[in-house]
Amino acid sequence: MKSSKKGKDFCIFGLPGMFCFFAVVIIPFVYGVYLTLTDWDGVSKTKNFIGLRNFGVVVQDKQFWISLLLTFRYVIVVVILVNVLAFAIAYLLTRGIKGQNFFRAGFFTPNLIGGIVLGYIWQFVFSRAFVSIGESTNWSLFEVSWLSTPGKAFAALVLVSVWQLSGYMILIYVAGFMGLSEDVMEAASIDGASGWRRMINIVMPLMMSSITICLFLTLSRAFMVYDVNLSLTAGGPYSSTEMAAMHVYEKAFTSRQFGAGQAEALILFLVVACISGLQVYFTKKQEVEA
Amino acid sequence: MKRKSPGKGIVWVATMALLTSALTGCTFGFASDPDDPNEVVEEVPIDTSVDTFSYDTTLSGTSITLLNSKAEIQVALEAMSAAYEEKSGVHVEVMPVTDGDSPYTKVVSLYNSGNPPTLSILDTTDVIALAREKAADLSEEPWIAEAEGYLTYVDGKVYSFPLCIEGRGIIYNKKVIEDTLGREFDPSVIKTQADFKALLDELAAAGMERPISMAKEDWSLGAHQLQYIYETYDGTSEGAQEAIEAIKDGTIDLESYDRMSQFVSAFDILKAYNVAGKDPLGADYDEMAIDLADGKTAFWFNGNWAWPNIEEAGAKAEDAYGFLPYFMNNDETDFVNQKIQASPSKQVMLDGQFASKEQQAAAKEFLNWIVYSEIGQQMLVKRCNIIPPFQNNPYEPADPLSRDIYEKVHAGAAFNASAIVPNDHWAVLGAAMQKYLADRSDRAELIETINAYWDEQARLGKGE
Amino acid sequence: MKQTTVGGTKRKIWNALAIALLVIIFIAYMFPFLMVVINSLKQKRDIIKSPFSWLFTIKGLSFDNFVKAFVQMDFLNAFKNSLIVTVCATGLVTLLAAMLAYYIVRNKNAVSKFTFVLMVASMIIPFQAIMIPLVSIYGGTLNVLNHRITLIFMHTGFSMAMSVFMFHGFINGNIPIALEEAAVIDGCSHTQTFFKIVFPLLKPIISTMVILNSLAFWNDFLLPSLVLTDKKLLTLPLSTYSFYGTYSADYGTIMAGLLLCVMPILILYVVLQKQIIGGVVAGAVK
Repeated sequence: MKSSKKGKDFCIFGLPGMFCFFAVVIIPFVYGVYLTLTDWDGVSKTKNFIGLRNFGVVVQDKQFWISLLLTFRYVIVVVILVNVLAFAIAYLLTRGIKGQNFFRAGFFTPNLIGGIVLGYIWQFVFSRAFVSIGESTNWSLFEVSWLSTPGKAFAALVLVSVWQLSGYMILIYVAGFMGLSEDVMEAASIDGASGWRRMINIVMPLMMSSITICLFLTLSRAFMVYDVNLSLTAGGPYSSTEMAAMHVYEKAFTSRQFGAGQAEALILFLVVACISGLQVYFTKKQEVEA
Repeated sequence: MKRKSPGKGIVWVATMALLTSALTGCTFGFASDPDDPNEVVEEVPIDTSVDTFSYDTTLSGTSITLLNSKAEIQVALEAMSAAYEEKSGVHVEVMPVTDGDSPYTKVVSLYNSGNPPTLSILDTTDVIALAREKAADLSEEPWIAEAEGYLTYVDGKVYSFPLCIEGRGIIYNKKVIEDTLGREFDPSVIKTQADFKALLDELAAAGMERPISMAKEDWSLGAHQLQYIYETYDGTSEGAQEAIEAIKDGTIDLESYDRMSQFVSAFDILKAYNVAGKDPLGADYDEMAIDLADGKTAFWFNGNWAWPNIEEAGAKAEDAYGFLPYFMNNDETDFVNQKIQASPSKQVMLDGQFASKEQQAAAKEFLNWIVYSEIGQQMLVKRCNIIPPFQNNPYEPADPLSRDIYEKVHAGAAFNASAIVPNDHWAVLGAAMQKYLADRSDRAELIETINAYWDEQARLGKGE
Repeated sequence: MKQTTVGGTKRKIWNALAIALLVIIFIAYMFPFLMVVINSLKQKRDIIKSPFSWLFTIKGLSFDNFVKAFVQMDFLNAFKNSLIVTVCATGLVTLLAAMLAYYIVRNKNAVSKFTFVLMVASMIIPFQAIMIPLVSIYGGTLNVLNHRITLIFMHTGFSMAMSVFMFHGFINGNIPIALEEAAVIDGCSHTQTFFKIVFPLLKPIISTMVILNSLAFWNDFLLPSLVLTDKKLLTLPLSTYSFYGTYSADYGTIMAGLLLCVMPILILYVVLQKQIIGGVVAGAVK
């Protein structure tokens, strides 16, 4: 009796969502994994099984490992900056200050600009605004376009990513703060040393589920960075800012080594899976059960 | 919370303003400025009174698709397909390849989805990659006879229709040069690299210190510039292929290959007089068109496809713009100093795998219509602004850059060579060129990167 | 929502500082969006030559770009397509994900655990890795591309993992099981308990997910471009294709088009704000 009820629950609650998910994500993914074991080039009618040879190509693709390393650096910086910033802003935006709705809408706007416009606007900022500041102040920091030297182009990429991602995370942190009760929020008002302690001892643990989510999201999104990479620097100057996801795409479609590209995508996936798996495991442990 | 939140208010106001303006089409300010580049350009009329093309009436009602990877002619192609449909009853749906997608990726995904376009406008490399397995053989088509010298052969067969000729070189703005120098300027007296350099020095002395614009984009550096080393091997596509094979197998040593060092010397001149100066990688493509039209610069390394940009920047079709060759040495008799590069760039491939008999027949008729019907001929030249590779097309392009190429092609002052390189050539070696342009690498490192690239290609070629 | 005055001057100074800081960051955040608005009113030449100049210093300031974008995009038709796809997909994914997440939280069995782990892991699959397999399965094998319903289904599937993840976190942290137990004792079935007790409590996270998902669906380019090729079905982002050239783009029109595209989402966000605020009450229940 009880098990049939469980079965009914599963069919009503679990099944429909799982069906969509498996049909759209998992099945194509598994098929994609199979493709890495073939010599299929993306168009040809024939697929020959070649075992792990594509992975052999990946091992030799120096540029892939360079881009992966660069992606690690990028992810670390972005994850820290985004979460600190978003947490702080979300906190300020749930204090009941005047016009907080207006502010919230404003912080949300970065999410509204995507694709080529995003890259174009920021190119203006880095190549023109900064340079004209440089001209009038003679600061060497702004002397040439940030996008024309590798180090600064990397910084520019980080800056834009933080700008865009934090808008998203603010939203989630705001929802998290909204879920807290009034007295907890009261406790969270920072006014001096004891406030900080309350923040860390009382509020942070209650916000842990939001933190888990945001960390995970920033981590995975930062690893997958593609749009911003393409539209802002396009991997330039001279391929110095080509992140892993972009390299994978280039490998599969520009260099037309479809199998190798697919294999690199799989490796990237495994790397991110391990890292975010660890992150979720550790932050989940900190969460308090309701 | 009875009061409307300020955020909401602002959004409403903005939305209402946008909507009202969008719906009523109201404008304010100086929108009717006579120099307004946004004003709708009057279309050149198409004469449809004469049409001697014979249509196959049994095809009427057929529907085919055309994948367009040349975004700037999307609207023109739609007009063209509408004109064709009116006459033939065949519907041609023009599908654009959109931003961020490469034509090849789009075609690959469409083939995978089992719904490929009947006709696809692709780059030559793509056609070669797909032809054997996907394309219909076009070797027996009548237009073959009109396009001699512009056909691409794969295993001795023609699988693609050459859509247009495009050429590249150093674009000059005659008026700017004359205004700066205060004398007549005749491009034909510039015969060697030394002449060109002297002209640049003269301009510099007259106040225009850096007269050249040069795109930092990898496709410009890696494809349009660097490929001169293959294409100037002997000025033919076959020669370019030979050069590439020789570089691959080591018979040509880039260190001592004369075209390589000549290319670097030409590139160094452009680099030295580059208006972007100490920040060449900060240059902006759209700004270059404006600088050239405004006279901040006198030269721009680019091709005839740049005209819409220059026109947008304020230039008129009757202005004197044209091409100088990419001067590579001081030998007046060397063709590289006399001719500019011009070759067919976009190819139309017909699907032979999924398209039905009727669709293939309709598509073939459409291609013939472009070549033979008076309307198609006009549409191609006047609407799409294309330099047709077909000898029988009597219409001349209207913009000065295309006209210059057109005239040079007909006067034998152009060489038809296009190197068929792997698809990532422009990206990988474009990056190497950027590095060289920014003075972050030297000639030796550049050559080393090019060698490494071809070594890798040779290895891949053997591995498969 | 009046600020209590306990804490005295120190608190006030803190608040003032915080607001000042907020305003500065806010301006930095808004700046690019502001640039889009300003430049959408300019002509291409002015956009390129003087992107930062204020409106009144520019000759030829006009709404031409908006008119052009509106006409060329076939705005009303594209708007209709986007609306249908976004509303259906958002509704579907919100409902299904909330239910699935609820099931996973309350039934800690092997299947639910496995699904959850798989979902979390799937969020890091690069879309490029499944792009080709996806079209070859749905196009080549099933031949169901070029239908809105396929796009809706795919949107739902792709955002399922992330939505379940978010709901899972919220239900775990904010929905006390005691409430449901009480409801079951009162004779409610599981389905009733969920829709009458749990679902209303999810309001804050539902609003958040509705915003995030509808934004993603509304603005998505890559997936619709793979699924839809029929002109009549094009969504808003797809319909801006004609503004992009091979070497350059029509920036003024693109920005105007972008604003026309995002305006509905911005309105939705402002409207839903209230719901998110309503979440405070829900949070206070425990």
